[in-house]
Amino acid sequence: MSDSSGDGRDTPSDDSESWQDRADRALGRLVDASAAERILISFAALGLSVVVGALIVIVSGWVATCDSPFVALAGVGSFCYDPISVYRVMLVGAVWPPYNFAITLKETTLLLFTGLSVAVAFRAGMFNIGTQGQLLLGALGTALSVLWVAPFVPVSVLGGLLLIAIGLLVGALIGGLWGALPGALKAYADANEVITTIMLNFVATGIAFTLVSEVFKDPQSQTVQTRSIPAFAQLQAVFFDSTVFSTFALVGALALVGGVYWMLNGTSFGFDLRTSGVQPDAAEYGGVDSKRMMVSSMTVSGALAGLGGAVYVLMVASRWQTGIPSLGFDGITVSILAGNNPLGVIPAALLFGALKTGSLAIEFQLAVPKELVGVLRGLIILFIAMPEFFRMVGARLGLGDERRTVAADGGETGRANDGGSETDETTDGTTVGDEGGDER
Amino acid sequence: MSYAEPSRKQRWLAGAAVLIVAALLAVELFFPESPVSEIVRIVDANYVRSVLRLAVPIAFAALGGIFAEKSGVINIGLEGLLIISAFTSIAVAGTISGGNPTQLQLWIGFFAAVLASVLFALLFAVVCIEFKADQIIAGLAVWLIALGVAPFASKVIWGQVNSPPVATLNNFDFVVFEANPPVVMMLISVPAAWWALNRTAFGRWIEASGENPKALDTVGVDVRKVRYSGVLLSGFFSGLGGAGLALGRVGQFIGGGETMISGRGWIGITAYLFGNYNPLGAFGASFLFASLDALQIRLQQLGYSIPSELIGIIPYVTVIVVLAFVGRTRIPDAAGDHYESGEE
Repeated sequence: MSDSSGDGRDTPSDDSESWQDRADRALGRLVDASAAERILISFAALGLSVVVGALIVIVSGWVATCDSPFVALAGVGSFCYDPISVYRVMLVGAVWPPYNFAITLKETTLLLFTGLSVAVAFRAGMFNIGTQGQLLLGALGTALSVLWVAPFVPVSVLGGLLLIAIGLLVGALIGGLWGALPGALKAYADANEVITTIMLNFVATGIAFTLVSEVFKDPQSQTVQTRSIPAFAQLQAVFFDSTVFSTFALVGALALVGGVYWMLNGTSFGFDLRTSGVQPDAAEYGGVDSKRMMVSSMTVSGALAGLGGAVYVLMVASRWQTGIPSLGFDGITVSILAGNNPLGVIPAALLFGALKTGSLAIEFQLAVPKELVGVLRGLIILFIAMPEFFRMVGARLGLGDERRTVAADGGETGRANDGGSETDETTDGTTVGDEGGDER
Repeated sequence: MSYAEPSRKQRWLAGAAVLIVAALLAVELFFPESPVSEIVRIVDANYVRSVLRLAVPIAFAALGGIFAEKSGVINIGLEGLLIISAFTSIAVAGTISGGNPTQLQLWIGFFAAVLASVLFALLFAVVCIEFKADQIIAGLAVWLIALGVAPFASKVIWGQVNSPPVATLNNFDFVVFEANPPVVMMLISVPAAWWALNRTAFGRWIEASGENPKALDTVGVDVRKVRYSGVLLSGFFSGLGGAGLALGRVGQFIGGGETMISGRGWIGITAYLFGNYNPLGAFGASFLFASLDALQIRLQQLGYSIPSELIGIIPYVTVIVVLAFVGRTRIPDAAGDHYESGEE
């Protein structure tokens, strides 16, 4: 990944310039070095999750009862689920029939927003577990604002565009404000953002539920939901005959990925954001107001989540209702799988979108519970959290001697430099590297 | 990780909560007919009893979190451990009995659940201590895995994410009163945990392991072992909490949404932060949060239509306010860091 963005700043004329230059080179090297091993870690974690997931499928198939087990062993019992066909159905079901592919793209679109949201916060050294709450309130803001403005707008394409624009704006605004809250609490009151964002998820759920059930409830409905937004304000499908997926939304989300990538790598705001994520002290020394950076990065993160909520309302649900899927938590997986790189979010979101659609297919066709994808989600995060594990496995597999030299080298020359250059070919190349680095 | 003395307000709040509980319990136990009991009629014996029952999962999660974090391993996966043990308790008790467990089978389910929680915590410990995983991300993974596994297994076993209802544990019948078994365990565990942490060598090791592992290593105590026991204890206590909730009160596993645990593990974390890593303080905070919950239930029973979701956010808001304004709890110096023994 070409992350060494600040190459232009090469005039060490005054102190701050030379500091920025140095920090930027260090940052670029760190990201470059870790990009390859991050990709390897992601693939290794994915592979291991698939293997452990298969074991879980086999064991659960042994527990479950069925008419025609795929294999029965005398004395052991019968196994209902064949892991290979589970994964096959999962993958095929994600793209075929075309309706399923539309659902995959729908999930991908939504996960792009939440994945980006988590990634931006991560890059700034903030752990935003509150994406779900920001998305939830953003979605409510979108639904209410569109419902409120709709009567004053002509029923036309232009009116629809206006409503969509308002909906997206309000969603981003509310999400951003809700995201700014834990940022400010961390910056000015030293409250751990991991705890506050989790708490604020529950608070958001409670507030949204109460608001809708007490004030904005659809009088026609038994369940807690708002009225439906008018059809002309919904994002229209283009290529797929689908009520849940709009190509416009996907294109917009991809453009947003480009925008966030540019923001992180091409703007001074992005530079400050990344430096405060990797080297908060150096950033502070270089004149970055770290407190303000905490608030603004969390605001951007929350706004991205809020946009995701807006798109959920405008494209999928057409209203706010209880039981909004856990897109925010999936976004954490997507971002971690993507190594918190905006461009990496695209394949990660696509993969996870496919897994979610495929999980519907395995439940429908094989009676394997679709919650399997939730298990895989957790496993992926667990394995990515332990790069050291893959290093040890690599060493155990007889690649030890090579490794030890490299590890020793890295240990002596400093953490940022021991990137996987010599060891990229094998999975064991997932060196300790920057385990702290930009994760925290 | 700025250093701050445990704030006086915090101690005062925790102490006051404990005193109130003790006083109310004393009044309730010894003078059921007294005027005091009448004055606190809203907070009557049944109210306290239900608060104690509601406090069980929160307080146990908090106790477990204290041991893990004091030893240097931040375990934000407590919620997941509660989910695993709640599920296992119902699954084991239901399966070995064919759906209608006896008291003995319920107790077997209870201890199986504690074992499952300890094993899950062991996995977390290995990942964090041997493989030097980022503790926050690994803890998150523990939660998400549990959030996936429990409903998945529920569907495999029962065909739906919720289990059919089973009986709950019978109350212990003491001479003067009846008591819910998980509540009794909690009332024993809290002072026991306090004693272990403050009056034993093990408690000093836990403390040193989180504050200054190098010093502990120097005097010849294996930091890894101490941290393992801290994390395993968090699994043990969370196991008691999850099984206590499922078998002591609810009598069912509910796997929809955030599952039946619905954030109690997270409240447990905030309870021990509120209580500044003191088991008594953490119990006071748990009691406070549970009493809000009980108040909301009671008000609903009395016909006040306060939306329960709105009351339900009070603990979370309290926690945020406390974290931000009342006291910045000081986390152990080495919590979250890996420790590599010098000899290796």
